[in-house]
Amino acid sequence: MADYKLTLAHLYGDLMNTYGDYGNIIALRYYAKQIGVEIDDQLVSLNDDFDSKAYDFVLFGGGQDYEETIVANDLAGKKEGLKEYIENDGPLLAVCGGFQLLGHYMEMADGSKVDGIGVMDHYTTNMTDPSVKVAKGTRLTGDIVIKNNETGETYHGFENHQGRTFLGKGEKALGTVVSGRGNNGMDQSEGVIYHNVYGSYFHGPIFTRNGNLAKRVLATALERKYPDVDWQAKLEKVPAETF
Amino acid sequence: MSLKSQLAKFTAQSAHFVLHDVLKRGGTSLPGKLAVSIDPDVLSAIATDFDLVVVTGTNGKTLTTALITRILKAGGYSVITNPSGSNMVQGIAGTLLTTKITPSPNGKKPIAVLEVDEANVLSLAKAIQPKYFVLTNIFRDQMDRYGEIYTTYQKIIDGILQAPDATVITNGDSPIFARGDYPNKRLYYGFDNVKESDYKDLKAPNNTDGILSPTDHSVLHYHFITYANLGRYFSVTDDFKRPHLDTAVTAIDELTPKSSRFAIDGQPLKMEIGGLYNIYNALAAYSVGKAFDVTPAQMAAAFDEDKQVFGRQESLKIGNKDLTILLIKNPVGTNTVIDMMETEPAPFTLIAMLNANYADGIDTSWIWDAEFERLHDSQLKAVMTGGERYKDITVRLKMAGFPIQETFPKTEEIVQAIEAAPTDKVYLAATYTAMLQVRAVLREKGYIKEEY
Repeated sequence: MADYKLTLAHLYGDLMNTYGDYGNIIALRYYAKQIGVEIDDQLVSLNDDFDSKAYDFVLFGGGQDYEETIVANDLAGKKEGLKEYIENDGPLLAVCGGFQLLGHYMEMADGSKVDGIGVMDHYTTNMTDPSVKVAKGTRLTGDIVIKNNETGETYHGFENHQGRTFLGKGEKALGTVVSGRGNNGMDQSEGVIYHNVYGSYFHGPIFTRNGNLAKRVLATALERKYPDVDWQAKLEKVPAETF
Repeated sequence: MSLKSQLAKFTAQSAHFVLHDVLKRGGTSLPGKLAVSIDPDVLSAIATDFDLVVVTGTNGKTLTTALITRILKAGGYSVITNPSGSNMVQGIAGTLLTTKITPSPNGKKPIAVLEVDEANVLSLAKAIQPKYFVLTNIFRDQMDRYGEIYTTYQKIIDGILQAPDATVITNGDSPIFARGDYPNKRLYYGFDNVKESDYKDLKAPNNTDGILSPTDHSVLHYHFITYANLGRYFSVTDDFKRPHLDTAVTAIDELTPKSSRFAIDGQPLKMEIGGLYNIYNALAAYSVGKAFDVTPAQMAAAFDEDKQVFGRQESLKIGNKDLTILLIKNPVGTNTVIDMMETEPAPFTLIAMLNANYADGIDTSWIWDAEFERLHDSQLKAVMTGGERYKDITVRLKMAGFPIQETFPKTEEIVQAIEAAPTDKVYLAATYTAMLQVRAVLREKGYIKEEY
C-alpha cells in the first residue's frame, strides 16, 4: 500500500485513445511507483459528470474524427468542471484531439467545424485553410524535436496531424520546434502550456519518451496535493527514460 | 482474349520465368506491372476463367486465405491463390497471369482466392467482379499508413459497390460491419459458444476502438467478448444488436499455442494452429466452404491436415531451443499474440523486436496500446529486446514491469540471442521488416530454407 495516491481522470478513455495515449498513464505510474505513489486511473466518458475537485491529474487523448465529433458534443456538459479544474491549476495532459477540443474550435479535413469548449484560447483550422502557408493540404507527419525555452529541456516525439493550431491569449508553447513541424508548421511553436495544462500533438507517447517532462508534471501534481513533501528531491533520484 | 491481352499475359509469364527459373528470385509484382502496362484491361480479359473470392481486413488475411484454399481443394475445386505479401494489385495481377489454371476435379469452375490489401479492393473489383468478399476484421493499424478504421472500411465498401451481385461474408461479432450502405447480400459469422444463462453485461476494455452504436452513437455493451471489440454486442438505448449469425462457433474445447479443438455449426474440428483469433479465420474459411457446397466432413478433414498452414506464425528448432516466430504489427494483433502466449504451459522467453520502416508503420506509439502487462500472468521467465527501434520496445517492456535480460540491437546476433534464452521455449515477436531480417539471418545460417 503506497503512502500517497493520485487520482487520475482519463477523459473519454474509451473513445479518445488512439496513438498510444494510454502509455502516458503507464509512464506516470512507472515513475510514481518508484517514489511510493499510487496512481488510480478512472474513466470519465459520455454522460459522466466531471467533478473538478475529484482529480489530481487529467489525461485527454486523441481520437478518430468520428469519435471526436461525439465527444465534442458531450464535452460541452463538462465545460464548467474542466474550466474550474484548469483555472485552479489542475494538471492536465491533452494530446492531439484533446488539445484541440480545449480550444475554441477545430476543423476536420472535410471542412466541417467542430466546436471545442473554449476553456483555452487556441483554435485549429484544417490543412487547406487560406491562412496555411506551409505544407498546405498535407498532413504534418514525422519525427519531431522541440525545446522548452524556460527549462532548456528537449522533448522527442512523432507528429501526425492535419489540423493547424494557433495559440491564443495567455498560452505559451510547450516548446520551440528544433526539427519537425509543430502546431501549424509556420510559427515554430509546438503544444501549449497554460496554468498546469500541457497540450501537444506528440505521439510517442510524450511521457514515455520524455521522462523529464513526465517527472516535471508528476511533481506538479504531487506538490499540489501534498505540499509538505519535497517531491523534487524524491524524483531527482529516479532516472528518466528517454528514447 | 484480345491480342493485346494475350501479349500482356505472355509478357508477365516470360518475366515470371526469368525471375523465378533463371534468376531464382521471388516476387510477382514485376510481371504484373509489365502486363498491366501493356494492357490495363488484362485482368478483365482473364476474369471469366475462375470465380473470385477476395479476402480483406486488418488482421488474419493470410491465414484465412490459406484455410479457404485448403477447404476448397478438399471440396474438389482447383484453386489459385496469391502468396502472402503479394496483396496489392500488381502482385495479384502477376499471380493471376502466371499461374496455370487447371480444371477442377469436381467439374466446377476453378476458384481464385486472393488476399487483398484493404486499399486495393476497389481497383481489383473494378477489373474482376468478385463472387464473394470475405471481411476478417478492421482494427487500428499503422495509422500513418491506413488512417482511421471508418476510412479503411469505406475503401472496402467502395470495392464492394463495384460488384453488387457478390455476397459479402463478414464478421458478425465486429460492430463496424453492421455499418455500411451497400446492397449486397451479407452472410455473418461469429461466436455462439456461450450459454444464455452465462451472458453478462460487459463493456469493451478502455483501450478498444470502434465501440459506438451506428444508430445513436452510444457505447455498445456485450453479452460476451471474445477479444478486442468482438463479441455478442447490443445497445442499451435502443434495439440495435449483433445480427443473426449464418455460421457460428458453437464450442471451444481446447486451445494450446499450437493447436485448437472447437466446433462450427456443431461440427467438431481441430487444427494445428493456436490462438483464439485464428478460430475467427477458420470460421471465415468455413463460411466460404459452405457457400461453395463443401461438406462439413470434407472441411473437418481439411482443417485436420497435418501440415503447417502458412500464416504469420511458425515454429523452428534452433539448437535445443524451440522457437516460435510471431508477427506483431498493431495493438489488437499483438494482444492476440499475448493471449496465445498466455496459453503456453512451459516456461518461455520473449524476444521482442521493433522496426519502424514504412511496412512496419513509422509511428511506434502503438506498442503502448498492446497489453504486455498481461504477460505477468503467463509462464514468461525472461525478456530480451532488439530491432532497429530496440530503445522504444525496451522502455515499453521495462515500464510494463519486466527486467530486460539483454538487448540485441544487431539482428545478425539473433542466433546468440535465442541461444542466450534461459528457457527451451522461445517466442520471437517481431514487426514485419524485423521479421524479414530475422528470417534472412536464419536462412543464411541454414535454419530455414524456404523464402518468405
